[in-house]
Amino acid sequence: MKRSREKAASELFAALYPRLAGWCRRLVDDDETAHEIASEAFTRLWARWTNVSEPRGFLYVTAANLVRDHWRKLERERRAVRRVSDEVAVRPQNEQADPSVRLLVQSLPERLRVPILLHYYADMPIREVSALTGRKEGTVKADLHAAREMLRAHLRRSLDHTL
Amino acid sequence: MITPSEDGPDLEPDDPLAVILRPASGYLAPPPGGYEAIRRDASRRRVLRAAAGVGLSCVAAALIALPFRLAASDAPVSPTVPLAPPPSSSPSTPPTPSPSSSRPVTPSPSRNPSDSAPSAGPSVPNGSGATTEPTGPDSAPTPTQAPPSLEPSEPSTAPDQVGTSAESSTLP
Repeated sequence: MKRSREKAASELFAALYPRLAGWCRRLVDDDETAHEIASEAFTRLWARWTNVSEPRGFLYVTAANLVRDHWRKLERERRAVRRVSDEVAVRPQNEQADPSVRLLVQSLPERLRVPILLHYYADMPIREVSALTGRKEGTVKADLHAAREMLRAHLRRSLDHTL
Repeated sequence: MITPSEDGPDLEPDDPLAVILRPASGYLAPPPGGYEAIRRDASRRRVLRAAAGVGLSCVAAALIALPFRLAASDAPVSPTVPLAPPPSSSPSTPPTPSPSSSRPVTPSPSRNPSDSAPSAGPSVPNGSGATTEPTGPDSAPTPTQAPPSLEPSEPSTAPDQVGTSAESSTLP
């Protein structure tokens, strides 16, 4: 029993960790932080292993929340530094080079973010997303559509700003 | 009517969203020993959570049981308290309804009367010599001998002395 559970955990780790950590690296652009976040997500999963029916979705949603917390922490630190040094031009040095991915997690409300993460990043079909979130398949499709529209609008706005 | 496909994406290949939603799969290999470290952390956290759960349930059980226990401990005490006073108070009050006013005043001298009771008889000749405090109250019960003028004087001193002695004994 214990051995089979250990084997399942090992297989899950081998299958999901590299992808999850790679996704985290895209969001935080820092290997060490990406490993920390992915490890924390797996730790939380295995700390309640018996209660989680869909580990893949749990890992991605947990990682997304941790990434968001990381950004908030960075923002607080940046604000504190700015307040102390009175320098306006303090910019993050190592933050992710791809603001559009950050936009994905940051701009969407949780209700829309979770289906996007599960469907596009965890590669879960809509049926599984529906089962995991407890929403009807039609609702999940509508949520995905709304999220895409919101992202498009954000992208358009950010492009207008850069031009 | 727009019916999204089963996969969900209604993304064109040149859609900028495709860049976000279909990112090039980046992989980051786990560090050596990462799996074991995560498993250790997870099991430690599970143990901590279990311990916290047990502790919380113990506290909750104690909080639930405490009122019952307190109520149970109060219950035996409450019957004993009413039982004790009635026998002691009811017999004492009926027998001494009228003398109770004088008795409480002369409890301390009453010890002496027991000793000086035999001397109470001969206290008549010692009336002048018995100017000591104990004889004052002792002479009070013998009103027949003393004139009415003596009675008020002697009892008046006796309670004062008793009162002062009581006060002096209780004050420190």
